[in-house]
Amino acid sequence: MNTVLVVRSLISGIMMGSVYALLGVGFSLTWGVMKVINISHATFGLLGAFIAYTLLHAWSLDPILSLALSAPLLFFLACLIYRFIIVPITKAKEVIVASMIVTFGIAIILENVMLLIWSPDPRLLTTSYTSKVLILGPLYFQYPRLAGFLMSLAGVLVIHFFLKKTYMGKAVRAAWQQPDAAQLYGVNLQRISMITFGLAISSAGAGGVAMAFLYAFEPHTHNLWLIYLFLVVIVGGVGNVLGTALAGLIIGVITGLSFAFLPYQWVNLLTFGLLMVILVFRPQGLFQSEV
Amino acid sequence: MSRRCLKRSLFLIMCLSLGLTLVPYGVSNAADKPISIGGSLPLTGKFAETAKWIEKGMKFWAEEINAKSGLLGRKVVFKIYDDQSNAGKAVTFAEKAITVDKVDLLFGGYPGTAARAVMPVAEKHKFVYVSMGGHMKSFQQGYTYSFGGPPLMGEWWYEGFYQWLKSLPAYQRPKRAAVYTMNNPIGTSLMDSINRMSEDLGIELVINEKYNLPLPDATPFIVKAKQMNCDLLFSNGFFADGVMTIRAAKALNYNPKAIVQGVGSIIPAWVKELGEDGNYVFSGTVLHYKLAYPGNDKLNAYVKEKYNLPGYPLYFGFGYAWMQTLSQGVEGANSLNQTKIRDWLKSNTVQTIAGPLIFDEKGLPEPVNFCTQVIDGKVELTYPKKVRTTKPVYPKPAWK
Repeated sequence: MNTVLVVRSLISGIMMGSVYALLGVGFSLTWGVMKVINISHATFGLLGAFIAYTLLHAWSLDPILSLALSAPLLFFLACLIYRFIIVPITKAKEVIVASMIVTFGIAIILENVMLLIWSPDPRLLTTSYTSKVLILGPLYFQYPRLAGFLMSLAGVLVIHFFLKKTYMGKAVRAAWQQPDAAQLYGVNLQRISMITFGLAISSAGAGGVAMAFLYAFEPHTHNLWLIYLFLVVIVGGVGNVLGTALAGLIIGVITGLSFAFLPYQWVNLLTFGLLMVILVFRPQGLFQSEV
Repeated sequence: MSRRCLKRSLFLIMCLSLGLTLVPYGVSNAADKPISIGGSLPLTGKFAETAKWIEKGMKFWAEEINAKSGLLGRKVVFKIYDDQSNAGKAVTFAEKAITVDKVDLLFGGYPGTAARAVMPVAEKHKFVYVSMGGHMKSFQQGYTYSFGGPPLMGEWWYEGFYQWLKSLPAYQRPKRAAVYTMNNPIGTSLMDSINRMSEDLGIELVINEKYNLPLPDATPFIVKAKQMNCDLLFSNGFFADGVMTIRAAKALNYNPKAIVQGVGSIIPAWVKELGEDGNYVFSGTVLHYKLAYPGNDKLNAYVKEKYNLPGYPLYFGFGYAWMQTLSQGVEGANSLNQTKIRDWLKSNTVQTIAGPLIFDEKGLPEPVNFCTQVIDGKVELTYPKKVRTTKPVYPKPAWK
């Protein structure tokens, strides 16, 4: 067995999977908590990447630091979208279907706005540490992947603790588990939902930056990212933040091991084949919903 | 002559005079009617950016020809539909242009998937179709009205690179190649010249793997190539996977003698986004703004003035060159009869900005490909020597 190839492929795969997880947690949250399948989630991630790209080139601002600007901006934008677009559809009979149609429209609009602003040219997020490597004996950690991994770890933990440990987070869960009871206890359902949606979109922005560390992007890239979103959320269990994170890691491990042991053209087949198998045998995902 | 006979003669003379007076007007009206050239381009969607350059190249050709005496003495006008980067719609619009709009000429055609789909339509309606084609298979279907003038042939993509390698002393050539190819018609077409010419030069294909898009990670590619001591790396992919491969090569400090990148490295974003890391990558092209063939200077001056670019973008050149080929066919045949145009193109040399083209029975010119290398952030022509703009940098310097 080629140990070096296995170990390096595995490390690279795990870091890649963790980035999918960061992009996916917000998607999982809105789907699991609010029953809104936000097709535009990856588009907001892409918007975060473009904002980071612009700030990097205009002010040499590090993409991770740029989140201090883009996250509140995306949060605010998400609140507006929630108030004026999502609220009306939550009254629909089939919220999931209605939300998919409406957010698909948002994705198209956002994509065209990005095309107007940034043109269809492919972009790269290139920082001073893009090509740097942390070498620990035989192990190689590429800095952009490491940065994505740490961002993911931080993002997932923040959202997890927000849901589990804060009053607001508990209110979010209560509001969607027992809406009537929560309202009797003074929980403002609309406000809670708006905050949840804003948080999810902000995390998408962070996920978009992490994805842009790894991959080239242009205004159509969100369509590809959306596939990864479905992959991690379905594998991890809808509404399960830690499950989404674990799903990202599982997918990373499978991808890494596939690269090490299989012909490369089988890698995607295996990864997405796994999605189908899970859908057949555990349509609720590998892990139970947290909310 | 009787009075009645005189009246009849006068009436005939009047009719004849009136007829003679009106005939020139009729001729003049036909001559004034512009020649319409129809078809579609992906002006929106994922191929839009490139297609807009094709459109600009075509329109520059039209401006130029209309400023002279036109084509066959008539102005030319385009009827351009937006196929929204959808090959199916390209077929619909080609049919519409021919059967509903009744255009005089058909223009073509981008990208390869759309060109390949429109070629049978052109054949069915017996319309000359000059385009990039859809790689070799599209020209092997027995079509007689389609021309690659010039074509974009994956099968020829590395001809220039291999010819250059052949010019090196044997001891300087790479010996072991790692080849990673995207698993689609473009990627697999690139394999043609690699398989054919590596054997000829005694280069062993130590790794020869295909991958499906999207590529999740290129790290394993490089780990394996480095372990197998490959001194030549082929990254036969688009921009996104090409970039990933280059970045992984740098991160893992993999330094083969040469890196060859298929399609991604010829677009402006390669040097713009990758910066120095994009340097020294070899590729190929059939068209380049620094070619010394007549017309290139004029195009460069135009894009310099209009778009402030140092040289015309590749697809601007394609749009212009395809119209050059079509218009020479029309002028050579001295007719808008499609079969006459086709026959003229099949039996004469066409002068284009990509050089002289002589078409075979498939509608293809002789294999034409120039070796390119990114040097100091510019795509330079490095082989053959007659078109060389700078000497290639070989072996590739180690990563900084």
